[in-house]
Amino acid sequence: MASTASTPAAGGPSSAPPRNEPGGLRIGWREVLSRVLALREGSIIAVTIIVAIYFSANTSTFFTGENFKTLLPYFAPLAILGAGEVFVMILGEIDLSIGGMYMFAPIVFYKLETAGLGLVPSLVLSVLVCSVVGAVNGAFVAIVGVSSFVATLGMLFTFEGLSLILSHGTPVATPGAQIHQTTVLVHHVVNGHNIVLPEKVNHVSTFANIFGAGTYSELIWAAAIVLILQVVLTFTRWGLYTVAIGSNKLGAAEAGVRVKLVVIRNFVMCASLAGLVGVLEAIRSQTIQPDPSGPNELLLIAIAGAVIGGTLLAGGSGTVVGAFIGALFLGILDDGLILQGVDANYKLFYTGLAIIVAMTANVYVARARRGHSGSG
Amino acid sequence: MADAPATDTPVVGPVSAPDDVLRVEHISKRFGPVTALRDINLHLKKGEVLGLLGDNGAGKSTLIKILCGFQKQDSGEMFLHGKPYAPKSVDDARAQGIETVYQDLALIDELSVYHNLFLRKERVHRPLPLLANAQMKREARAALDEIGINIPRIDVAVARLSGGQRQAIAVARTVNSDADIILLDEPLAAMGAKEGAQILDLVARLKAEGKVSIIMILHNYVHVLQACDRVSMIQDGTIALDKPTAETSVDELTEIVVNEYRRAREETRAEQAAGEAS
Repeated sequence: MASTASTPAAGGPSSAPPRNEPGGLRIGWREVLSRVLALREGSIIAVTIIVAIYFSANTSTFFTGENFKTLLPYFAPLAILGAGEVFVMILGEIDLSIGGMYMFAPIVFYKLETAGLGLVPSLVLSVLVCSVVGAVNGAFVAIVGVSSFVATLGMLFTFEGLSLILSHGTPVATPGAQIHQTTVLVHHVVNGHNIVLPEKVNHVSTFANIFGAGTYSELIWAAAIVLILQVVLTFTRWGLYTVAIGSNKLGAAEAGVRVKLVVIRNFVMCASLAGLVGVLEAIRSQTIQPDPSGPNELLLIAIAGAVIGGTLLAGGSGTVVGAFIGALFLGILDDGLILQGVDANYKLFYTGLAIIVAMTANVYVARARRGHSGSG
Repeated sequence: MADAPATDTPVVGPVSAPDDVLRVEHISKRFGPVTALRDINLHLKKGEVLGLLGDNGAGKSTLIKILCGFQKQDSGEMFLHGKPYAPKSVDDARAQGIETVYQDLALIDELSVYHNLFLRKERVHRPLPLLANAQMKREARAALDEIGINIPRIDVAVARLSGGQRQAIAVARTVNSDADIILLDEPLAAMGAKEGAQILDLVARLKAEGKVSIIMILHNYVHVLQACDRVSMIQDGTIALDKPTAETSVDELTEIVVNEYRRAREETRAEQAAGEAS
């Protein structure tokens, strides 16, 4: 038996697919396709590409650089929120408080900055405040034994409420994100005449450019965070223990995994990332809006993105890259529907249907995977 | 509700010897109103295989969980190599050389065979915290080959293995360590005869090597007489019998259980009678 280790179906149960054994040498497109689909992210990659092709074919503006730039700020924050949420969801838990952190962190940032602290220290401290909230979430779940849905729902409302109290419900300009206008002289050629006109050019500080305002700032943050966390999930003990707890909590504990520590750590990370995204978005949009409706929607879409990307709500399985692609899928869908001129009233409806279709595809692919030999 | 006189008579006490690797004295444990262990005395010699018998709910698994640091006793003391032993956690017990295979199959379904074998003993690329998967695969394969367990692929999730294969992996997990005491909680549960024989062979091989001492919970008396040097029977939270397997027989062990059932029936009847009388 050991000599057959190279054929994918060798170790599988009797439900191995009845098709021909794939030859080791001939790797045709079918094999490539089945390998891609065998990836946990496979189905959502396929669905995302199909949707992108559809919008490219049906609108002239979808497949353009300009459109890509408008797409970025929609999906990058979702990807970061999703990355943190994946670590909690693999445990078999859920963190709804990310909406609260997303709303609360910019207000802490504003308060600290206006109290005289520097921009960077204010940002770091505001994220740290969210880490503490994450630790409390984790403690409620791991030590007190409150269900994570209930504990984090309470924290969501508590911190959205606290945000309203602290901000008096009034929007403010984000510190460090102000646009400076400088006047430069620009040469124009009009009807053969050279004329010089003064024009106003917008600048934002380097701080703002790094933390959200730069065109690719959030994309770079998202890509870096997703990459690092995927490595953490797949190649470190932290990731291994996260999967172990989600798959068999008692077994992991009996093997000596410190379950409470891992649970708390993952909640800390999830809340911290949500706080960071909140500040990045406040800097990008230049205003701090104390309105819970945005965060409430965002948190659900982030969870939807993670689920679409192949993370099971039941725990034990999931990928960060999947959540990234899930967020990209939702971004493309949202953007494409707008470009196609779909009635705004229909957009949410279509988004909902698309989520259901993508999820159903996921279930079928997951079923197909079981006959296949994924290596992790 | 008067105590049956039988429980006041001294139970078979521990015969301590200087070469005991593990000694348990007067351990008791309650879960709320339920007394799981009343007064447990136990000892284990170096290289010995001790079979632990007892009815369901007699407290065997509770005892194992206390020995391996997963739970803490209410009273009583334990000694490891003659020194007081009070494990703070499973990790702590393991660091002191006690490894456990649990009845509830503490394997992680979603993890691969080799990750399960190395859980909490992972190899990493020092100084980086990254898992050395290739090394773990190699070592896992070598370890499984060495103890004669045939698993076709070690990079598949254990969810896809048969019950027997899973149990074999669970046992291999402890063998694959530096433990000098191994606790096996029903290693033959959910196993066919062929797979069970494999596990018993493995235990026999470990015994022949003489490096580890083993406490094993079993249900089948024949297995106990076959695989163990000594047998202890837990009844009602205490050790009711402690004998070398050479000095006992299936008949004697059966007799004890039959008597237990008879007594239990009489007690129930007496309680019912008392209830009707009042």
